[in-house]
Amino acid sequence: MLNKVEHADVIDAKGLIRQHGQGNAAIKAINGVDLTIKAGEMVALMGPSGSGKSTLMQILGLLDRPSQGEYFLAGKNVSRLKKGEAASLRGRRIGFVFQGIHLLARLSAIRNVELPMVYARFSSTERRQRAEASLARVGLSALAGRRPNQLSGGQAQRIAIARAVAPGPELLLADEPTGALDRASGRDVLALFQELNQELGLTIVIVTHDPLVGQHAQRIVELEDGRIIADRPVLDRIVAHGTPEVGV
Amino acid sequence: MNAFTIALDSIWSHRLRSALTALGIVIGVFAVVTLISLGSGVRSYVSGQFKVFGATLITVSPATPGQGKPGHPRFGPGSQNVPSSLTLGDAQAISRLHSNTIARVAPVAVIPAPMGTAPGATSGLSVIGTSAAYFPAEQLKFTGGRFNGSGVVLGSKAAVALFGHQRHLEGRTVYLGKTALTVSGVLKASTGITSSANNMAFVPVTMGLHVVGLQNISEILVQASSDQSVNQAVSAVTGVMNHRHPIRNFSVTKDTAFLTTINKTLSTITTFLSGLAAISLLVGGIGIMNIMLVTVTERFREIGIRKALGARDGDILVQFLAESVLLSLLGGAIGVGLSAIASHVIGKVAGFPAGLTVGSVGLAIGFSLGVGIVFGVLPALRASRLMPAEALRTE
Repeated sequence: MLNKVEHADVIDAKGLIRQHGQGNAAIKAINGVDLTIKAGEMVALMGPSGSGKSTLMQILGLLDRPSQGEYFLAGKNVSRLKKGEAASLRGRRIGFVFQGIHLLARLSAIRNVELPMVYARFSSTERRQRAEASLARVGLSALAGRRPNQLSGGQAQRIAIARAVAPGPELLLADEPTGALDRASGRDVLALFQELNQELGLTIVIVTHDPLVGQHAQRIVELEDGRIIADRPVLDRIVAHGTPEVGV
Repeated sequence: MNAFTIALDSIWSHRLRSALTALGIVIGVFAVVTLISLGSGVRSYVSGQFKVFGATLITVSPATPGQGKPGHPRFGPGSQNVPSSLTLGDAQAISRLHSNTIARVAPVAVIPAPMGTAPGATSGLSVIGTSAAYFPAEQLKFTGGRFNGSGVVLGSKAAVALFGHQRHLEGRTVYLGKTALTVSGVLKASTGITSSANNMAFVPVTMGLHVVGLQNISEILVQASSDQSVNQAVSAVTGVMNHRHPIRNFSVTKDTAFLTTINKTLSTITTFLSGLAAISLLVGGIGIMNIMLVTVTERFREIGIRKALGARDGDILVQFLAESVLLSLLGGAIGVGLSAIASHVIGKVAGFPAGLTVGSVGLAIGFSLGVGIVFGVLPALRASRLMPAEALRTE
């Protein structure tokens, strides 16, 4: 990245602890995490299962609150947000992509893409425009009217990505986004992430235990037992489509 | 894509389950609305019947001195328990008032003697001893003949029971006990509260009493000259009677007072039965709550996704509340529909106008709405308070 200084920190977390239970039975899923992610970065959050990476992602995505520590999202302290404020920020500024198919089965593809904007109280025209644009971006405009059960796994995941980016978030959080996909579909999804990252400057955090997925990011943060044990740039980055890019 | 569209979609996608859940409300609303419709149908029918008479009838009946009102002698038992002390003389005294508030006076005596086509033969008919004024007062019409003061007048069914038909019976002979009498007229079939006249035979009161050897009559029917003069007529009649019966062993009753009593009784019964029916609404509501709780548990993941996409607690609350309210309203609508059919059919069969009233439909809608909200709040709250992280963990 050349103009690093101009990028504000999208994520700035200090001393995050997430504790489940009380006293002796207390388990610290996250135990003192400091993490800074700059705008436009594509970061892989890696670690074995139970390392706390999913919990960390939920805290970063405002789906959960840290027991201790401070979390600034784009400069705003969001460690102790009220539920309603958190929901509102989630809807407008954070996009989620989950493992498996997290589309609502009863809604068509385009309705699924519109859903976060319904909750964010976008006007219906803006909703429809953004949803169509977003479907076009993931190359699935033709499937707008399909129900999730009429889509392949790879298509469904790309619809989910379209849904995540449609409201124009600053941060995209993906939890094992390729976990339920075959290799080819997985590659397509990762290529799409790289494209969104480059073309929109979208900050992307991918939680994965798959080293190959990690290699698509610019930076890998490794967790173990709720702590960060390594934080390194990816030197031999895989670029799925287009010209290879040299890591930082 | 508002809460109600989502709710409708969810209800439609679980058609059988939704139908079974709503069934409790269907039954509850059906029962409540039908009972209310029938109750108000009966009430308006009874009032209508009284309107035919212009509410001008007054009945003097025997009573135990100092006691309250007996039953209504013309419409219900009650006077039977009180040995009558009324006489023809009382009826004549009222007639002699020549008050312009009184149009007609007719003595009424139950004659406990069998009537048949042979001496001593029985046919199960009630025999009433009265005078000519009785028939216009009770709005009874003749198909043929008249009450001539010496012959027998037969009700339409009584004529059939005795002769097998109702035509040209004037001049035929019937026997009251062993006394031979000539038929002088036959009544048109009567409906409504005077329909008991169809099964009666009417004889001149003096002759009837003479045949059975009785002195006392059962009651005196007085018709006021107009609706407005009823109260004056009552006081005039009461004045005469007080003079003749200083121990006050009689009572003077307006039909309108009786109407009020009937209406009160019907209201009480309707309310009571509707209350019982409302219990099924309660059960239906609990059914809805049960299913909604299951639905919430089943849809943890959906709730999680919606919350991750920015749904606030309120959005989820409204979504689930909309579902239970819609389910309940649908049940209510079906219940009202069934009730409309049932009231119509029952009304047709029973012969009185029973239809849905605006009030009962409003009540049904209110009830279903209330049930949907009350029993939907708990599941909806549970859904809305779910932490998104927790909801998403459920696969």
